[in-house]
Amino acid sequence: MSVVALPILAPLIAAAAIMALRRGAPALALGGATLGLAASLWLLGRAAGGPAQTLLLPGLPDLPLRLVAEPLTALLAVVVAAVGTIVLIYAIGYMKRESGLPRFYAVMSLFLAAMQALVLAGDWVGLLAAWELIGLCSYLLIGFWFQRPEAADAASRAFLYTRSADLGLYIAVFILIGATGSSEIAAALNADGGATVAAGLLLLVAAMGKSAQVPLHDWLMRAMAGPTPVSALLHSATLVAAGAILLIRASPLLAPEALLAIGLVGGITTVATGLIALAERDLKRLLAASTASQYGLMLIAVGAGVPLAALLHLIAHAAIKSALFLAAGDFQHARGDTALERLRGVGRARPRTFLGFALAALALAGIPPLSGFFSKDAVIAAALAAPGAAWLAPLALAGTLLTGAYLARALRLLWRGTGENRPVAGSAWMSVGIWALVVPAAALGLAFGPIEALVGLPAPETEATRAMLLGLLAATGGLALGWLVPAGRLLGPINKWAQSGLVVAGGLTAWVGRPAMAIARGCEHLERGVYDAVLRVGRGGLIIARGFQQLERGLYTAVLGLGQAGLTVGRLTRFSDERGIDGVIFALVAGVRAWGARARTLQSGLIHRELAISAAGTAVVLVVLLAMSLRF
Amino acid sequence: MPTLPLVSFTLFLPLAGAALILALPRPTARTVHAIGIATAALTLAAAFAMWLRGVSGAGFSQVEELEWIPVIGAAYRVGVDGISLPLVLLSALMFLLAFIFTSSLRERPRAYVVLALLLETAAIGTFSALDALLFYVFFEVSLVSMYFMIAGWGHEDRQRAALMFFLYTLLGSLPLLLAILGLYLGSPEPSFDMRAWIADPPLDGTAAMWALVAMLITFAVKIPAVPLHTWLPAAHVQAPTVGSVILAAIMLKFGTYGLIRFALQMTPEAFRDVGLVILVLGVVSALYGAFAALAQTDLKRLVAYTSINHMGYVIVGVAVAALAVDPAVRAVALDGAVLQMVSHGLVTGALFFLVGMIQDRAHSREMGEFGGLLNTVPLLGWSFVLTAFASLGLPGLAHFPAEFQIFMATLWTVPAAVVVVLGIAIIAGTFLKALRETFLGEARERWHAMPDMSLREVLTVAPLLVLTVAIGVAPSWVLEVIHRTTAALAL
Repeated sequence: MSVVALPILAPLIAAAAIMALRRGAPALALGGATLGLAASLWLLGRAAGGPAQTLLLPGLPDLPLRLVAEPLTALLAVVVAAVGTIVLIYAIGYMKRESGLPRFYAVMSLFLAAMQALVLAGDWVGLLAAWELIGLCSYLLIGFWFQRPEAADAASRAFLYTRSADLGLYIAVFILIGATGSSEIAAALNADGGATVAAGLLLLVAAMGKSAQVPLHDWLMRAMAGPTPVSALLHSATLVAAGAILLIRASPLLAPEALLAIGLVGGITTVATGLIALAERDLKRLLAASTASQYGLMLIAVGAGVPLAALLHLIAHAAIKSALFLAAGDFQHARGDTALERLRGVGRARPRTFLGFALAALALAGIPPLSGFFSKDAVIAAALAAPGAAWLAPLALAGTLLTGAYLARALRLLWRGTGENRPVAGSAWMSVGIWALVVPAAALGLAFGPIEALVGLPAPETEATRAMLLGLLAATGGLALGWLVPAGRLLGPINKWAQSGLVVAGGLTAWVGRPAMAIARGCEHLERGVYDAVLRVGRGGLIIARGFQQLERGLYTAVLGLGQAGLTVGRLTRFSDERGIDGVIFALVAGVRAWGARARTLQSGLIHRELAISAAGTAVVLVVLLAMSLRF
Repeated sequence: MPTLPLVSFTLFLPLAGAALILALPRPTARTVHAIGIATAALTLAAAFAMWLRGVSGAGFSQVEELEWIPVIGAAYRVGVDGISLPLVLLSALMFLLAFIFTSSLRERPRAYVVLALLLETAAIGTFSALDALLFYVFFEVSLVSMYFMIAGWGHEDRQRAALMFFLYTLLGSLPLLLAILGLYLGSPEPSFDMRAWIADPPLDGTAAMWALVAMLITFAVKIPAVPLHTWLPAAHVQAPTVGSVILAAIMLKFGTYGLIRFALQMTPEAFRDVGLVILVLGVVSALYGAFAALAQTDLKRLVAYTSINHMGYVIVGVAVAALAVDPAVRAVALDGAVLQMVSHGLVTGALFFLVGMIQDRAHSREMGEFGGLLNTVPLLGWSFVLTAFASLGLPGLAHFPAEFQIFMATLWTVPAAVVVVLGIAIIAGTFLKALRETFLGEARERWHAMPDMSLREVLTVAPLLVLTVAIGVAPSWVLEVIHRTTAALAL
């Protein structure tokens, strides 16, 4: 067995073991994740120096499944495995008091396996399969507390949004396999022509669903109804990351038209969801909106033609956002809620956690020398140098400004004020998890140089100094604004609108959901109508049949009358003493009676009997027809 | 070396079991069910032996022939290829599970089991017949058996449903008979040998078109395709659980199997000429079925409409196969279509079993009356979740490889028709809604005492779930058999 499959197999086997044994779930899950991490690191080491490692598996006819460990995919596998392992460590503490733990750990392990399959996939079919499976896992995890109506709704919504957008990936994959005659991703990257424009735009649709880009961002905020470790994993290295990862991997095939569309979608999202984050009244929902906003920045970088910048920001964001969520979960346990109002002053009660949260927040805002500074710098530089710089650069800077503003606002709310604190169970495990992520969140900038050299993607072009100055200005300006000015005043008239998620004209529910349900009800109405009509026709047929029955009855009576007449004649002839004739006539009468009765039973009105007769009749017709055909 | 006539063995075992039951003077319910299960198990073993023997590339394998009516060229001819063999195996499996599920029945069990065994022979016969006359006989016998099953053991409104079923099936199957006679009269020497008709289609021009239209009417009723589908929801809702399972898992495939075996293979030219019309029919069926499913509040009706949707994909696959110029693309489309039949059998069979279990417990199928069942009956609930996701086409489960191939071939052949892919989003919405209302949310007081699956029920559903995953994860073990035939198919 090739090691390429191990990052997938290890958590998968852990999931199976958990479901089979139903005990020791945390240890098994952690063991699987750790083994997966070790294998990913080994793969990265091998891929860094040597050729890509490939594993072929049987799939559909002529479309084998394929796993590829090359520098980019191995690096992503390491990110997924690392974040997954740390989140699992944290979860041991966080989930301590929950029931249903085998299910939780089994699905988390399955989720890791599916995500590893997605990043290591070397063919479109495998990628698509993994892409949909992470959707299923997030459905199960967001809906972990399925008894709660809001969790059940959020899970359904998340799956439906992403599934609908996935249609884009389906069609893009069909186009690409058709255009290149192979399902290998590497083959498609060299494709060009009209097909790539369509495919690129369709890939964008799929990525918009997973990465929660406007207008498909709404599900992400609601998904906060799930357990916090789940949010941490979803937002950093798995579900939401999948969209950006897809575009980064597919970037060589993207046509200029597709690039522009990607950049604009990212730009609009980063600003819109940044505004939503600024207006949020719930810490987890604020972080969720921030996630969409940061992925918007990554899409800007991809759209600007510098996927490397997107990759760097993706990695930095993976560490930062999971650290933020894990810290938020700690606050949540301390106050029993995630509403910012209830979290006032929680930072003073949990200073260690708050320090971690603040470090990660500053990193995300882009304050040197923390990791986000470098990655955001790369994004802004890319936007400045892009063909569509006039659009992309202001949007990227606005997104950066907003990032600073909503993070400073959150920090202020968490630090100022007072509230009632509770003891936090499992605090030790949670601290380990938080700090294991805060450290890379702060220091990952050191690794960016080696990563650039490793993956061999084109680096952003010049403009470095200008980008750095503008980025710093936006970040510090944002932080200052957020700290000093209350969000309500900052947003002014659009505050209410932003709080409700910047919904335009009723949003997707009004534009897609309701029409779909209206069509469905129309179909149902039609169904009932047709059903009744057919039933009426059927009844009509029965009435005609009953008419025949009446006729038959008349005939029967007539035949009987005839028989009676015959009988009378018979009685008369009896006198003639000719017993032979007498016998014949009696037999005749009996025969007529019997046939009459038989004809009567034929028209019994009982359908099943009629059906049997019709089958027999069919057989007779068949034989007659056959006999006729013989004479041709 | 003379080999064991496995196909005939598989075919007539159920009939022998039925005869045995009828021969016993006054068997107890236990005996009757035991004979039913044992017969079905032996049949499955025989079908599995057929599977192990496998099929060769072109044409039919494991052919068995006996003279029947030599003067008119009708003979007992049976055999299988990569298209029919999976369906024979599917039938044998579904009937065994049906007998296990129904083993608790105490209402006229003898008649029920005999009827079901008769139906099993009819089903396996329909898929393995190589003589058109024989095919027609099996096809008709299955209808009669199913009619009695609905009328005799159905639910509250069975009379109306039975009337509907009667109307459609009676009117529906006659055109096929005419088409068969047409093909017979057109063939150079009088014979009902389907192999000859496939190798050298006897009709062309207008005659072929008329034959095709007649066959399309019959099969469209059977599949069922919109607008000839009205009997299906009614029949499903009123049929007993096992009736629904057999109807959906096996009898609907008579239609799609006939569509390939008769319409596509025996009138290929005409099929190609009207391929676009058939394609549109399939697309409309799939989307209409999906939307109608979305509006349902009755779980059983919902599953019935998703059947229309899934069978619509099969029609699309077959139509695309006819339209495709490249044989490789045609093979992809047909692979998908045939695999979709198998997947639909497994998945929808499981769904109807599960809905039946809910109905047995609650005497209701209205989604609105439930809620939180995942907590109350976890085993049943999680089985339903898995099956629902299989039905909405999740990768790793049975429908995905089939639908993927159908959609892909569609895009390559008639790009506009790929709009049918919308169906999978609508069906996702349908099942998410059903899961949300029935299984998620707060558990209701009313259902707290609901028992979870019994051993009998677990034994019924577990094999289906295992196979659903097995086909989803590694479709190649089925596709290999199918592909051997579809790749060699000459149209």
